[in-house]
Amino acid sequence: MEIHKYEKAWLVGALVLIFFFIGTIAYVSAVVGVDMVDDSGGALDVDEVSEDERFADPRVEQVGEDEYEVYMIAQQFIFRPGTHDTVDVPENSEVTFYVTSIDVIHGFQLVGTNVNTMVIPGQVAEITVEFDEPGEHGIICNEYCGDAHADMEGLLVVHPEDEWEEMQGGDG
Amino acid sequence: MGTESREKEISHDEFDPIGTLALIAVYFLILVVMWIVMWYAEFLDGGPTVVG
Repeated sequence: MEIHKYEKAWLVGALVLIFFFIGTIAYVSAVVGVDMVDDSGGALDVDEVSEDERFADPRVEQVGEDEYEVYMIAQQFIFRPGTHDTVDVPENSEVTFYVTSIDVIHGFQLVGTNVNTMVIPGQVAEITVEFDEPGEHGIICNEYCGDAHADMEGLLVVHPEDEWEEMQGGDG
Repeated sequence: MGTESREKEISHDEFDPIGTLALIAVYFLILVVMWIVMWYAEFLDGGPTVVG
């Protein structure tokens, strides 16, 4: 079989392109550490959320030097914490969110980022995020969850380190 | 109808669709550039990102 030189070039080019695509994704996965949302959060009984020690008192908890865990309940039409009070974390921290719903399916997304997961009743959505820079990130529900879905939002504040230390000092 | 007289046989290697090649090359280049821009914006531009 005789293959034209342009066809050969195309075959090689297409192969190179495929390896290039896979390579770029492998790079961010292996070197940068970007990960996907998975089911590692596990399940829990939706009627017993208030008895679960993580969600009885939804909160931000420090679990390591620069490691924090956020236990959050999404419900019609608020995030707890998030809507009535902000979620506060310091810069240069690694924050793991555990989010569950007590009524219908909600979404949890930091606007404009890939920090984005479904929040399903009976399931715990677990995602770990690195916050390297101070700033504010809106939290929105991106799954239609009822009449006031469009108003379901919250706020996450990444504080500069000095401000964070002041806040900690103020709290005692 | 006269067209037959203008037909010309060329060999396999004489077929040289340089215009098509250029078009595909440009398309290829656009694809690669768009991928890199998307990839950079999605993963490397410094915003918060999921790591676990």
